[in-house]
Amino acid sequence: MLHTPELSRVRGTVDFLPPDAALLRSLEQAMHAVLALYAYAPIATPVLETTDLFLRKSGEEIATRMYSFMHWNRRLCLRPEFTASVIRAYLQHLQDRPLPLRLAYSGPTFRYEKPQRGRYRQFTEVGGELIGAAGPAADAEVLAVACGALESVGVRDYRLTVGHLGVALELLGQLGIDERGQALIVGQLEPLARKQADPDAVVERIALLLGAAAAEGDDEAPDGALGELLARVGPETAERLATELLAHASLPLEGSVRSPAEIVQRLLAKAARPDPTPQVRTAIEFLQQLHGLAGPPAAALARLDALLRAYRLDPAPLEEIEAALSLFAAYGARPGEVVVDLSLARGLRYYTGLVFEIYDDGPDGRLQLCGGGRYDDLVRALGGRDAVPACGFSIGLERAKLALDRHGAVPPPARPVQVLVVPVEAADRAAAVAAAQALRAHGLRVELDLRGRGPRVALRHAAREDVPLAVLVGEQERAAGSAVLRRLEAGEQATVSLDELPAAALRALADGAGDGRHA
Amino acid sequence: MPRPAGRQPAEELRLALPSKGMEDETLRFLAACGLSVDRSNPRQYRATLRNPPGVAVLFQRAADIFDKVDEGSVDLGITGYDIVAEHQREDDDVAVLYRELGYGRCALVLAVPDGWLDVATIADLAEVATSLWNKGGELRVATKYANLAREFLYRHGINHFSIVSSQGALEAAPTMGYGDVVADLMTSGVTLRENRLKTIAGGTILSSEACLIGNRRQLAASETKLRATLAILELIEAYLRGRDYLSLTANVRGESEEVVARRITAHEAIAGLRGPTIARVYPKAGGERDWFSVTVVVHRDALLAAVEHLRKAGAAEVSVVDVHYVFEHRSSAFAALRRQLGVRVRGGQTPGPEELLVGRSPVGEF
Repeated sequence: MLHTPELSRVRGTVDFLPPDAALLRSLEQAMHAVLALYAYAPIATPVLETTDLFLRKSGEEIATRMYSFMHWNRRLCLRPEFTASVIRAYLQHLQDRPLPLRLAYSGPTFRYEKPQRGRYRQFTEVGGELIGAAGPAADAEVLAVACGALESVGVRDYRLTVGHLGVALELLGQLGIDERGQALIVGQLEPLARKQADPDAVVERIALLLGAAAAEGDDEAPDGALGELLARVGPETAERLATELLAHASLPLEGSVRSPAEIVQRLLAKAARPDPTPQVRTAIEFLQQLHGLAGPPAAALARLDALLRAYRLDPAPLEEIEAALSLFAAYGARPGEVVVDLSLARGLRYYTGLVFEIYDDGPDGRLQLCGGGRYDDLVRALGGRDAVPACGFSIGLERAKLALDRHGAVPPPARPVQVLVVPVEAADRAAAVAAAQALRAHGLRVELDLRGRGPRVALRHAAREDVPLAVLVGEQERAAGSAVLRRLEAGEQATVSLDELPAAALRALADGAGDGRHA
Repeated sequence: MPRPAGRQPAEELRLALPSKGMEDETLRFLAACGLSVDRSNPRQYRATLRNPPGVAVLFQRAADIFDKVDEGSVDLGITGYDIVAEHQREDDDVAVLYRELGYGRCALVLAVPDGWLDVATIADLAEVATSLWNKGGELRVATKYANLAREFLYRHGINHFSIVSSQGALEAAPTMGYGDVVADLMTSGVTLRENRLKTIAGGTILSSEACLIGNRRQLAASETKLRATLAILELIEAYLRGRDYLSLTANVRGESEEVVARRITAHEAIAGLRGPTIARVYPKAGGERDWFSVTVVVHRDALLAAVEHLRKAGAAEVSVVDVHYVFEHRSSAFAALRRQLGVRVRGGQTPGPEELLVGRSPVGEF
């Protein structure tokens, strides 16, 4: 049976048409200009990367949302973010450059998420990474560049939320929760803070994933008794028993990547390990307290200081936030509101220090425009020779546009065409091209009439498309080396020599035949 | 099979049934629903439904039925939900019209070698995956269900693994050395045990059973196909609902219908779906006049409680028969189908049950 399927966009993607696409490009250029002012040099990395790059340190949240696929037996993906790619490029090519290194980027990123307003599956990130600089001075610079880039396109009254992963990570370390557990817990901070997740359910789920005994009534649990028995007889006997069991109970392990010794060892280690549930619960409760103490910097820092003392945690992260924010103030950025919230986790697993997010609060809810922070372990995790401190940010370009839309702050689009050049007859085409080129050489946006249906039709088209000027070239003008310059709105026209045409056109535009923008 | 003259082939509803594995169960299920398949020769791959008219039946491999429905070469299909879950895309044309047909139950599970004494839970497996990764290896998962397995592992914090797609005997993968663990269908667990594999707690990826799927476009485009589909759905729905109910008939003594009714409805357990039906019993010559026959339909689970209450209400003897169908005022399958298709049934009216149930008299209450 024959049927022609409709060709349509892939769900969750957008076609940006004129003039929106031009606007997005101009926003992107403005942000790049700000990055350039702070000496961030552009870098371009491929959209296509190995999936593994992002699985190493980006966290589960990203893993399930990646466009990942096998291509001739290699696992590839469309980049879900830039930081890991930029660090990979740094490791491959730039490790010998003097530090710090400032890099700027922009381009499409891809995440398989539920599409909704302001959330597309392909979106554009504009951002920068500052590699090889530690401490509040670097953090403050990154904050300032991010705010500066947003302000440069007209974003106002945004809310800047600052947090620090140091506190959460130290507490989790103290509780003896391993790296995997830390990642699982940190990954839940965001849903917990947004009240999208029930704390008890989160504790239970994470504890289960960390090896807590399954709840009663779980008919899936097949054993667990063996470990308990072995734990009772003491390590030496246990090891002998387990090894014997594997050797004689015809439990074949040929072909297995795991040796009997390894299995026995893990079995014993597991039996000796306590139930992680109380630790997980303590951690989640503490992190919820952190969220409860969020607020304006001075007040929040004071309250948090008391809490950290009570838990005997290092107050250094608070000092870092304070130092970074006071330096940040010197840059003169103008956020509408600054909030300190230590439960901010950013969903990406690689952050280690100060983290921040920038929001636009509108009548229809908050819109995240930007996120960033410090990731001192990432270079090492991706195979760097040395540990290199680094931080960065990235802005969602389409989000920034949406924020401007919400506040009616979108700049009027530039006129795509300033001058329409019309050859009267086919024989006048070469002369018309010469006139058009002369105008373009002076930076004017020129459309050459290709319809060949005569000046009247061409002029009607120009009026309809709001083109302010027309240049007509006929037999007479061709012979005289001149052209007719017509101001459409005024209906006035004059014959000018080709040499003077660009200057005359510029004058006419400046006179109000159109200032280059739609009214 | 020759088509009746004058009928447009496109107007015939094409229903694909699984030819292997689930074939017998499917035919039994459909027959029980009142959807008997007429097949002149059991080796033929085409047949028809005896009722409703105009339904062609095609026997295909369960694994292919999803694709056939998606591409529209058949309109409806019965296949395992596991296949639907693995193959569905968000832009496909396949609508799940009935998720649980109540047979063909199995589970897609993760299984590890018996020898992995230390692995009893999904958390253990996550740790093993991490430790393999730290040693430069990777946990290899052999499966026919790459999408479901990958999604499940990611969701459980297992990032470092590779999928070995295999259509062959998966259970042998660990012994043969091309996979460390498997994600495969399990019905009884015997095959896993025979291959020295065990399930782990929290390792069930999906519970599956037979389901009915349909092609949205094909159904939405043809009134005839839609009506036939609704008829099939009605019968399936009423049959599946009916399986939960029993019809009780008791002879109860009382002064009048009203008195008996009051006694019966006093007990929630025997009030029936809507209320009891009560009729006077006309005794044999010389018999007593004050006997009434009471019929109620109750949930299977409430049978003994209902019998007890009937006794208290004065019942002499109670007979119980299976309810074959329970039709409700509105078919929830209708509504679901319309939601799935995203269209109104043309003509603005859904066909009423009386139009659809040609030549059958369902048992039970309405």
